[in-house]
Amino acid sequence: MNLRFKRLFLAALLLVFIIPASVQVFAQDGSVAREDTVIIDIDSQDPIPNPENFNWLVPGTARNQGAHQLMWEPLFILNYETGEIQPWLGESFTPNEAQDVWTLKIREGVKWSDGVPYSADDVVFTFQTLLDDETVTLNEAANTQQWVESIEKVDDLTVQFNLKAPNPRFQLDYFSVRIWGNNNILPKHVFEGQDPFTFTNYDPEKGWPLGTGPYKLVSASPTNFVWDRDDNWWGAATGWHALPEPLRVIFAITGSEENKALLMSDSQLDSSMNITLGAFEAIQARNPNVIAWTDSLPYAWADPCPREISFNTEVAPWDDANLRKAISLIINRNQIVEVAYEGTTTPSKTLFVQYGGMAPYIDAIVAAGMGANPDGDVPAAQALIEAAGYAKNGDGIYEKDGATLAAPIEVNQNSIEYVRTVNVVVEQLRAAGVDATAQPLTETTANDNRGFGNFGIAYNWDNCGSVNEPWNSMNRLNTSFYVPIGDRASGNNPRWNTEGAKAYSAIVDQIGVLPLGDPQIQPLVLEAYKYIFDETPFIPLVQASKLVPFDTTYWTGWPTQTNNYNHPATWWNSTHQIILNLHKAGS
Amino acid sequence: MGGITIGYFLRRLAIFFLTIWIAATVIWLIPRLAPGDPITAMVGRMIQQGGSVENSAAIIEGWRERFGLNDPLPVQYVRYLGNIIRFDFGYSLAYFPTPVSQIVGQALPWTLGLLLLATSITFLLGNFLGALMAWRGTPRLAKLLIPVGMVFTSLPSILAAIFLLYIFAFLLDWFPLSGSYGRGMKPGLTLEFIGSVIHHGTLPALAIVIVSFGYWALGMRGMMITVEGEDYMHLARAKGLNPFYVLYRYMVRNAILPQITAFAITLGTLISGQVLVEYIFVYQGMGSVIFTAIRNQDFAVIQGTSFFLIVLTALAVLIIDLVYPLIDPRISHERS
Repeated sequence: MNLRFKRLFLAALLLVFIIPASVQVFAQDGSVAREDTVIIDIDSQDPIPNPENFNWLVPGTARNQGAHQLMWEPLFILNYETGEIQPWLGESFTPNEAQDVWTLKIREGVKWSDGVPYSADDVVFTFQTLLDDETVTLNEAANTQQWVESIEKVDDLTVQFNLKAPNPRFQLDYFSVRIWGNNNILPKHVFEGQDPFTFTNYDPEKGWPLGTGPYKLVSASPTNFVWDRDDNWWGAATGWHALPEPLRVIFAITGSEENKALLMSDSQLDSSMNITLGAFEAIQARNPNVIAWTDSLPYAWADPCPREISFNTEVAPWDDANLRKAISLIINRNQIVEVAYEGTTTPSKTLFVQYGGMAPYIDAIVAAGMGANPDGDVPAAQALIEAAGYAKNGDGIYEKDGATLAAPIEVNQNSIEYVRTVNVVVEQLRAAGVDATAQPLTETTANDNRGFGNFGIAYNWDNCGSVNEPWNSMNRLNTSFYVPIGDRASGNNPRWNTEGAKAYSAIVDQIGVLPLGDPQIQPLVLEAYKYIFDETPFIPLVQASKLVPFDTTYWTGWPTQTNNYNHPATWWNSTHQIILNLHKAGS
Repeated sequence: MGGITIGYFLRRLAIFFLTIWIAATVIWLIPRLAPGDPITAMVGRMIQQGGSVENSAAIIEGWRERFGLNDPLPVQYVRYLGNIIRFDFGYSLAYFPTPVSQIVGQALPWTLGLLLLATSITFLLGNFLGALMAWRGTPRLAKLLIPVGMVFTSLPSILAAIFLLYIFAFLLDWFPLSGSYGRGMKPGLTLEFIGSVIHHGTLPALAIVIVSFGYWALGMRGMMITVEGEDYMHLARAKGLNPFYVLYRYMVRNAILPQITAFAITLGTLISGQVLVEYIFVYQGMGSVIFTAIRNQDFAVIQGTSFFLIVLTALAVLIIDLVYPLIDPRISHERS
């Protein structure tokens, strides 16, 4: 009896240990060696349920699974480090004097991966499709219809855009990977005759999806996208650039931060998405080959969307500009950096992201005394609150007419970064006597509440936009976006519509038609910013921190502050630059 | 007719359809009670990526119109019922233009493969160990070791998953850290691919097995103890029957009947129950689809997947009700 039991027990052991071990022998990861493969984390924790959709015209379609980093090349790439717009598929993009006619010259010799030449016909087809969308629901259709009157082919390599109004940022905003993505040009010979709403642009037998980039899709699943090098890439064929060194690039969903950390520690992932300082230090302790944007704190690169807190300026008590200012004065931005970000970011001085190209505007605002105080000034804040008729109750909380000065701060709960920041702000406000609470909401609810004006105070980055010129972020507060509470807004979520806001918007409109870098811009920015400073419709908090680790075990040449050919955002359309800069370790 | 009458069969079938209709109505209603909608969520994702979306209000309104989300709720409900009768769940709202059926069809085999195997192993292992715990012939050492092994049962599956990942994937490097198959591999009916799938599925399956086998073991042990006191057990032993024969034919066969009912119900709910395991292991199954759909408030996918789970559960219960008289001759619906 015992013998039979032992046999059973042995069989169970065999099942649990021997079979998986034998299976491991077969579990090779395809035909390309690890040292020829780059593995990059996809900017999503969730698997992509529709991996076989490559029609970016449909909003929500994934592009950062390698499609726009490896296959769809942009016309131009903005270099965040130099402020220069670098040619890629485009050779030049020049406006007329009135800035309402833009002429695009395409680089000669560019080909789609099936060998068909990339031409003005593709550009015209792409924008005509967007102009013809009567529902205005295709990606970029609304922007295109807002600005473009018509588009004309001049010759095979030249296209003319006739705009409805002068736009000095036309190239910057829509063709240069200003932030994340771009208007990627469609292959006319593939998309022509297809329904742009339902076409998936996926048919491996026909070689779809196709692009002009140096990689072709090999396989797509919800968690893995495998791309192999196309040795016939136009860039190498024309002598513009040598073929990239990696033979294969895999974009993978890697899940939780713990999983990313384990994969990077084990050199199974060459580039992870944003992680916390704790995880980064744990990875470096196990894998010293892992680097980041800087060698020491803050390690992180600042992404272009500074964090802030917005008020609904039409809802009491936040319709009182002095109370809004008081909240701003209480906030200790340095403490947020230390506690919520563990030193991986810097306090915001103004509305703007603190890149080199923005420095002249930021410096001027700070010099004019309108910069955000990094340490706060609680006594000054309390004086403003008391001047508004509030007095502290027995619990040390300000009260007026029996009601406390309540400040529920809505925050999208999906990110630990957001929640941590709001928790620090809540503690600071409570210590100063404001009845603050954090209100974590789902992302959709938080967005809906801000869009419809159903909030009092909310954490967000709604003024994201400017990276090398001030208009884009400033325009987010333009009264032209104003809609009453209950209607969905496309900007100006604070519903800032006072006389000051209208004066501000008039100045912003003036800035909007000036050429980039025009000397008139800076004094106008100062003039407009005075209204923001006086009325405080939002509070700048800190710069956004992206701690993006790279493993140099297999590949070197990753972007860093000292090797700064551009920023390190591997989820952007500009990643083509990174891939071309990678070299085999030790080579 | 095997303990089943036509009347009972028809009544049972009517309850089956009633259950599905009520559940289908609930799964239609609940997502709509939550604030927000899938289009706002989609634009929210775009804002997360691009920092901002110009003309977002126009985009949201346009897509709401396209998906019929601006129609009155009764109109939406009737359209929904009409569609589900034809098993047409339309397009994913968050991942248009992909049909829900394609999303489910792509994820389902992975989940069925993983969870059916894991649950079956759990069921067999749990009941086997439960039976051993109550059986007089089990060696004392085994009786001591089994409860110790059941300590894992008290762990949430997400913790067990992290624990297994750390030990077997990171420290020992026996299994991969994530994914459903090798990263660079092309899916296909090859030995290499099948081996990779088994290799990647082992830890997720183990995470499910170690946290749930105790449930079955304890249930089985309780039933075995009850059966142990029955007269027929004394008679069997008095007849001098082989102890293994007594264990299998007299004890296990009687004790396992309620477990089979529970197993049928578990089969229906196992997909929704292991969402976090799939999330931790970045496994491309139904759990991930459900998790993503809920985050994106993708009504169509939530409805499609939930409807599938409801039908699966109801069908499992229906089948077990109908075949129970065959398993247990004491049960008969003929008298009623």
